[in-house]
Amino acid sequence: MTMKKRKNKSIYLMLVPIYAFTIIFVLFPILYMILLSFLSKAEVWGVVKEVTLDNYKKITEPLYIKTFLDSIKLAAISTGFVVLLGYPFGYFMAKLSKKWKRRMMELIMVPFWTSGLMRLYGWIIVFRSNGTLDQILMGLHITKSPLKLLYSYEAVVVGMIYALMPFMVLSVYSSAEKMDWTLVEAARDLGATKFKAFITITLKQTMPGLLSGVILTFVPSMGMFFVADLLGGNKIVLVGSVIQEQLTKGRNLPFAAAMSVVLMLLTTMLISLYKRVTGSGEMEGLV
Amino acid sequence: MKKGIKKRAAALILIMTCIVAACSGCKKSEEEKELNLYTWDGMFPQEVLDGFEDETGIKIYYSNFDYDEDMLAKLEETKGGDYDLVIADDYIIELAIKEGLVQKLDKTKISNFSNINSLYQGQFYDETDEYTVPYGAGIPLIVYDPAVVGFEITGYADLWDASLKDSVAIIGNYRVIDGIALKTMEESFNTEDLSVIEAAGEKLKELAPNIRVINDNNTQDFIISGEVSAAFLYTSQVNQALAARPDLKVAYPKEGLGFGIMAAFVPSMAPNADEAHQFLEYILRPEVSAKCFEYIGYYCTNKAAEEYISEELKDVLVVPESVTEGEIIQNISEEAEELHSKIWNEFKAECD
Repeated sequence: MTMKKRKNKSIYLMLVPIYAFTIIFVLFPILYMILLSFLSKAEVWGVVKEVTLDNYKKITEPLYIKTFLDSIKLAAISTGFVVLLGYPFGYFMAKLSKKWKRRMMELIMVPFWTSGLMRLYGWIIVFRSNGTLDQILMGLHITKSPLKLLYSYEAVVVGMIYALMPFMVLSVYSSAEKMDWTLVEAARDLGATKFKAFITITLKQTMPGLLSGVILTFVPSMGMFFVADLLGGNKIVLVGSVIQEQLTKGRNLPFAAAMSVVLMLLTTMLISLYKRVTGSGEMEGLV
Repeated sequence: MKKGIKKRAAALILIMTCIVAACSGCKKSEEEKELNLYTWDGMFPQEVLDGFEDETGIKIYYSNFDYDEDMLAKLEETKGGDYDLVIADDYIIELAIKEGLVQKLDKTKISNFSNINSLYQGQFYDETDEYTVPYGAGIPLIVYDPAVVGFEITGYADLWDASLKDSVAIIGNYRVIDGIALKTMEESFNTEDLSVIEAAGEKLKELAPNIRVINDNNTQDFIISGEVSAAFLYTSQVNQALAARPDLKVAYPKEGLGFGIMAAFVPSMAPNADEAHQFLEYILRPEVSAKCFEYIGYYCTNKAAEEYISEELKDVLVVPESVTEGEIIQNISEEAEELHSKIWNEFKAECD
């Protein structure tokens, strides 16, 4: 009995650093940000201690509402494609032999060894006029003159899909791997078509993985303004870019904080929606 | 078991001593002098920095920022300390002076002060020239490829031409870009009339279909590579574009030029203010100054240095007469500034 107690105690002690870390580097900054969002901008730099709701009022201006909607739209489109491409990938990966599973996993992880920014620059080389893609298309006589592919909405979507796809693949994979395939066999034995078996059994069982994949792609894509900046030529205004601009050129820290708070609330809502739908508090896959 | 702990403890102590020793080593000795320079990357040729170090024995620590605002934030944080000499843009210097982060120069220590071209003195940010030494001036200009653009570009308004659809690159400074819309309406860059700025926003939206890319850094690359056929660039970028592609043409917009000055100042609590003055004295020497301007590619703000600038660069580094008519972008009322930021974001939203 005493033994067990001591063991428990030491476990709690081991948790102290984690809690301390979380409180200092996660909780305090968030509280500070929330506090900041209710203060007013100082004339030159910084904030003055005048409590106000103006920062939130400003977000309701059509321009900023549109920015939020645009960000959600881009995130939704990217996530849609990521689901279409990533779900089958993760699903079939789970069906591979052990050896191939490992190989595929390595292939997915290899790109992470280089910086994400660097990989985006790679896409610039592909998309720019007279770039790789243009040369291939012109070499095959499909197009005659360089297409203007870079700095377009499509280029941004491609970049987003590329950057976020691994998260979907991994979370679908991990839930498909845990799946009880005998249930599918049973359904087929009982006369279900392949499609019906997939919908009623496979999809249902991999739903947590799929949904956590959706969250893992949707949430970051709201803030990945650098993809829009690099591949979209700075022309697409996302919530992330407005926050960054308000922090630097705009010198309006409270407004940037208010935008961040709203963004955070939106993503929290998404996650609680996820919990409601899947009935579980845990995220499948990476988390 | 115990032995293991002892060993580990010994190792730990050894590591700690090493760290402490290394730290005390990095603390400068009393007589070693230093200068903490804080500005954008690439503002001085290595030759000039080395020359100063060799001559004076003062070690230069060069740190850089990307945006003026980052610099101001840093100075606010350090209450005007840590750095000895800062070079930044005109408008931000006005704010830094207002915040009390800048100290007055001791001109008795800068005998070369008189070399400065008076054109760049007495400006809004330092009307009495007590705080700053100008270090380069710029005018954003239009560069275009005459082989692709079917007409001669003479002003900002030409960027609105329908034939330039999806073919224009612009810098990302909203006061400048909003400003060119104001200029096409024959208004001042610095108007505080909100309805005028609002109208400029509408005008700017019409430019959106022509914009291919908005980028503040290395914007010249887009025209050099042929990604765009016309670009609105900062001076140093104009010079780089021309150096890479002499077939490109430059247009001095007829509506009027925007004009910006970079200047050096000593922060209020600079730990090595003396050394900072020595450095200013050094870079104001005509020969040294000429090397600097040839390197950074901005207009030379040192009158005495002009004759030392090599013949082939004189055209681009020595200010043409017309520039005296340029208008400097200044700090404006908060409402106007905010409206500028808003029409800029609306414009960007229109671009995609």
